[in-house]
Amino acid sequence: MSLASLSNDQRDALQELTNIAMGQAGASLAALLDEFVDLSVPRISVVELADLPPALASLVGKTNLVSAVRQSFQGYLRGEAIIIFGEPGCRALADLMGFEGELEESGENELLLDVANVLSGACLGGMMEQIRAFTETNGPAELSFSMPSVMARQVMAEQLIDPKKVKWSHALLLEVNFTIKNRNFIAHLTMLMPEEGIEKIRHITDEFLAAF
Amino acid sequence: MSLPILVVDDSAMARKMLIKSLPADWDVEISQAENGVEAIEAYRAGKAAVMFLDLTMPILDGFGVLEALRKEELNSMVIVVSADIQPVAQERVLSLGAIAFVKKPVSSELISTVLKQYGVI
Repeated sequence: MSLASLSNDQRDALQELTNIAMGQAGASLAALLDEFVDLSVPRISVVELADLPPALASLVGKTNLVSAVRQSFQGYLRGEAIIIFGEPGCRALADLMGFEGELEESGENELLLDVANVLSGACLGGMMEQIRAFTETNGPAELSFSMPSVMARQVMAEQLIDPKKVKWSHALLLEVNFTIKNRNFIAHLTMLMPEEGIEKIRHITDEFLAAF
Repeated sequence: MSLPILVVDDSAMARKMLIKSLPADWDVEISQAENGVEAIEAYRAGKAAVMFLDLTMPILDGFGVLEALRKEELNSMVIVVSADIQPVAQERVLSLGAIAFVKKPVSSELISTVLKQYGVI
């Protein structure tokens, strides 16, 4: 096993932890949009940084145009949450939030930011809740978030991240998606963590596994 | 004779958590399934007088299992155990024939309450 990988058990535990956390995010989104939200099975991989753009593209769909919001988090865990919206979903969002007619770009950005904030806050908050409940953390297990910002509008997923601008060698890539079937809406919540985050996740999942 | 119960979840850890939260003195024979298709096979093999069913799973999800079982005149007490806490999800599984909904993470208190409520223990 290479330093930057997870064992099957660790992966399984992380998947379940994410699954529980995303349930809360899905419920928050459902309440915000007043629609039923289908939840995906979480997908987890450890990728070398150079492979990150194609890895993201294969999660999101290679040919689709997407818009994305990023928000960094730090504290107990450090990384980036990137919330990727399929293009039809962006338009559906304005409808769902009750806006009529054409929405200006600034208004649409605000919608994306609001939804992204709900998803990343609920999901990462839910993960931290599990970590506090099931593991022994040294000191307070808290996260702080940066202000979310729109990182791209209508680009190919492969173009979202320029690996040359990121100083990590590997990344833990976690993806869940939220779908509203009859509205053609999909939002992918991806979480990226650098090497030392992977180490921490291994430690956390080992504690989880030992607890059951 | 031990009661055949089936624990359905794609996560091995989630199955372990659930099994650990069952009453210690409950006389059961536990089988496990990793997805909806395996769950239906085990149900047909008579291994699921009581079924603990996750919703979000690959191949066939928990909603799909409930729909399939209903076509076969659902002869199992299904308790849905899920992180999907949307009120609509709960209504949907109950209308599809599940007897109860327990949210993840499970605890032995939550499980015992439901089992007692339905006279299973």
